[in-house]
Amino acid sequence: MLKSLSPFVLSAWRAGLRSRSIQAILVLGILLMGVAFLSASFAPRQPKTVALDVGISGIRIALVLLSLFWVQELIGQEIQRRTVLFALTYPVGRGSYIVGRYVGILGLLALATLLLGMLLWVVVLTTGGDYEQGFAVAPGLPYWTTVFGIFVDAAVVTAFATWIATLSTVNILPLALGLAFAVCGKSLGAVIQYMMEGADRNPHMLQLSPVISAIQWVLPDLSRLDWRVWPMYGVAPDHTVLIGGGVMALSYIVVMLVLSVFAFSRREFQQ
Amino acid sequence: MRLQRSSLKLSLALVVAAAIFATTTHRLKTAPRYEVRAQLRVALPLFVQVAMTMGDRYLAANLATIEIMVVDTSKMRPDEFAIQAQLQQDVSWLNPGNEDNYYVAAAILSWANQVDAAQNVLARATDARPYDYQPAFYYGFNQLHFRHDPAGASAWLRQSAEHLLDGPNKIQMLNLAAIWLDRTDDLSMAIIVVENMAKQATRPDFRKYLELRVQRLQGLKTLRDAAVIYRQHHGKAPTQLDELVTDKLIPTVPVDPFGFGYDIDAQGNVVLRSRPPAPKPTPSQAQTSTQTPVRK
Repeated sequence: MLKSLSPFVLSAWRAGLRSRSIQAILVLGILLMGVAFLSASFAPRQPKTVALDVGISGIRIALVLLSLFWVQELIGQEIQRRTVLFALTYPVGRGSYIVGRYVGILGLLALATLLLGMLLWVVVLTTGGDYEQGFAVAPGLPYWTTVFGIFVDAAVVTAFATWIATLSTVNILPLALGLAFAVCGKSLGAVIQYMMEGADRNPHMLQLSPVISAIQWVLPDLSRLDWRVWPMYGVAPDHTVLIGGGVMALSYIVVMLVLSVFAFSRREFQQ
Repeated sequence: MRLQRSSLKLSLALVVAAAIFATTTHRLKTAPRYEVRAQLRVALPLFVQVAMTMGDRYLAANLATIEIMVVDTSKMRPDEFAIQAQLQQDVSWLNPGNEDNYYVAAAILSWANQVDAAQNVLARATDARPYDYQPAFYYGFNQLHFRHDPAGASAWLRQSAEHLLDGPNKIQMLNLAAIWLDRTDDLSMAIIVVENMAKQATRPDFRKYLELRVQRLQGLKTLRDAAVIYRQHHGKAPTQLDELVTDKLIPTVPVDPFGFGYDIDAQGNVVLRSRPPAPKPTPSQAQTSTQTPVRK
């Protein structure tokens, strides 16, 4: 299995690195960390916490954009331009191509996560100068667990965009739908909470309650992968929520990949 | 000929467009400009705030907090404080643990006639920050100062103490919670609360202190109960505590274990003294004094 995946993983890596992705990550990262650093100056009592908070938001957004960009470039465009046909001449199943590419993008995302995570770590430690906050942030295990959660979040978005890329005949669709999926998935937690608290007794909103309940069966609640209150406020998430979030994400990724393999295997390419 | 006609059309279009531009520019010069205020104008619905940040509720909370931080509250109108109150409640919903948000709510909203909003923010922060005693403390203060509810205030102070580790700070907070109960009208409840606090106190000296506070409140309750009967008998409030003894409603005026004692205020209510009574003048001082005695 690994042997059949490796050419596609490696080619994804090579293509990703060749497209100056790392430089793009660094530029994006420095930009985001600058924003995080500056935003801390608006926080009179908790500059490090705000830098961490804004920085995590930045990494979360950046990883989604990068994942969609890589899916577009390494899967979508190859299908659109028919260059995928060269890859399919390997004596392996079509599924290997999709899974291999996905794993390759995951590797690029992991690298980006690590780089951005380290950059933010340095920013948080240097923010605020000599000022000691009343309540310190936790840059150790809580921080890196949170960063890992963001990576898993991006992995889910990547899986969804991969599926769309295998179906789509329109170039921009994986990017557009992937972005919509990410925004909806991340907003879902807030919407569910709002509904559960009575939706400000707004009857129009309450009418949507069954729709929101139904949506949860097809759209993962990505806010369950956001564990930033742990490093920010030292409030560790309940381990059942932590594990539950991870299992939910993993199972959704598997569903998306299986759908992608199905769709890609049945797809007909005209020369 | 065709070229000339085409050039003519273009020239005509140019002249017309230039004329329209000049006319509108001239009109706009003198047209009134809407006042642009840097203060808060509108609090966007929660969903819009979350969607605008790609579904990131924490980022939405941070952006709203920055907006709150940069406004000049000294120039704000009352309706703008209402918007700030809404905005801060939104932030506390998006991220209840935001320290700056609850701090600004306590420092500004409470004093700008937005106590309900401030309490909402502080209550959420209390839940979200189990290691931080301050949100519950500010809630309690608002309850006492703005809502005149000493019992509720004391309850929040006790909750605030729960967020502190055992030590002098916790003792001080519990002490303050007991002191604030002195101001309540429901003395039976206050006595029960302080008695329970004494039972739960781990340090013996603090337990003893709370027991003295119970004794003090019991003395106050005895006097108030007697004053009610006195009022029923005489149709007026007593002017001195000794009148309750003279009427045989109580055997003696209870002794305040803290030495401050009890008093009757201008409305005829029995109250706790906030300072020890002045020493009684010696006979010689009484003779030389020309001032009219004032009832305490």
